[in-house]
Amino acid sequence: MVNKYSGSDMMEMSGNDTSSVEKKYLKLTSNYFKKGLGIATLSGIFYGLYTAFLTLGMSRGVWADWYGENTAMLSAFVITYMLAAIGAAINDLSSAVWATGIAAFKGKLIDVFRTVNTKPGYIMIFAALVGGPLATTAYVAGLQLAGAIIIPISALCPAIGAILSKFLFKQELNARMMLGIGICFAASFLIGWTSVDINNLDASKVVILGLFAGFLAALGWGLEGCIAGYGTSMIDYEVGITIRQVTSGIANLLVLVPIIALIAGNFALAGQLTTQAFTSGPAMVWFIASGFCALFAFSLWYKGNSMCGTALGMAANGTFSFWGPFFSWILLGVIMGIDGWGMPLIDWFAAIMMAFGIWVIAENPLDRFRKNSVPLGAPIIENEEE
Amino acid sequence: MKPLNYAILKYFTTVDEASADDVMQALKEDYGHYKHFNKSSVVESLMTAVTNGLLEESRYELDENGEVRVYFRAHEEGKNTINKYIQD
Repeated sequence: MVNKYSGSDMMEMSGNDTSSVEKKYLKLTSNYFKKGLGIATLSGIFYGLYTAFLTLGMSRGVWADWYGENTAMLSAFVITYMLAAIGAAINDLSSAVWATGIAAFKGKLIDVFRTVNTKPGYIMIFAALVGGPLATTAYVAGLQLAGAIIIPISALCPAIGAILSKFLFKQELNARMMLGIGICFAASFLIGWTSVDINNLDASKVVILGLFAGFLAALGWGLEGCIAGYGTSMIDYEVGITIRQVTSGIANLLVLVPIIALIAGNFALAGQLTTQAFTSGPAMVWFIASGFCALFAFSLWYKGNSMCGTALGMAANGTFSFWGPFFSWILLGVIMGIDGWGMPLIDWFAAIMMAFGIWVIAENPLDRFRKNSVPLGAPIIENEEE
Repeated sequence: MKPLNYAILKYFTTVDEASADDVMQALKEDYGHYKHFNKSSVVESLMTAVTNGLLEESRYELDENGEVRVYFRAHEEGKNTINKYIQD
């Protein structure tokens, strides 16, 4: 008897107890697949948590003044671009400290140093730069130029990641998976669309430039998910995330913030505002929490993508477009009692849509209702009598 | 010395096929003191390599404990990719 995957290379099975060994093999592959899907979904939950804690941190201590009364007399440009970059830098550096500590505790720090100066290490650094400072800046710039309309556009990143993975790494992307990605995109688009004021939409050159910046952000995150997911098949995910967060934090702090300060015409402002932000205790408490959650948001994203493929991993991670507003509502609205953090009904509907879309990417839902269906994620084995 | 994950992948460029147990046996001397050098981590690394086209499964059988033992191998393209990214 020979067992083989349907449509793929032949795999032989040794031994006589066919049904027992086959069942155990299918269970092993199915458990691995479910674990990958669970990890990718968990990354979306942590992404939502990190967004909520970061938003809270950037509303406390010195940030409350900058975004409120503004006694420091900061310009609109500095408030819009520089504060966003400083917030991202502190979050990523906080996350880098967590990542380094956890890697050291687990005895993986030595592998971090051994990995940095290798090809996969350089690829991880490239992914961090594309998805960190570059995509984040494009996103913030897009928000300023075109407004909230770019939020649903940025939801294109899972689709972009899946397409890039097909061409760069020959990952599977069939019509059913495309349909699932489309459903997930529609759900994220619905959530993002609730932020858009359709009465104030126009088609000026500035808005079109903003839309382009929003698309660039989606491209950056799609590229990061695709490249870093593949990289995590070679690099341990906790080693990878340490490289990612250290790179992104340093690049944001030492490159992006000074560049924005230069454009604002006051280079010294970079050091002044960064120091004030780092020494603002009421805010830093929340940055420590946001950095901790960001560590898992990104590391589990990479690991999930590497375990179940970019298309499914990024779609499951993309549930952050639900978890972000959800945890912001819980933390900022319900727990902290801040006005304006509600949860529209459409978000709940979109969450159900996303879950269905993820299911469609993972398998043909109709297979669940067929006789002799294999466990989720397990390969179909054809038995041929010889 | 290479990072553990690199060593696991590189091992497959030197053998026809191997199970997680074989990998652990081969790397025990250099990596046995690593906290995360355990069978479930090695199996997960190997299955992740399969998902990403670096390795493929060659066969499976029941081991002496009645657990399924999967054998993996690096096909030509996988070997080339591993050697391209992970140098000696």
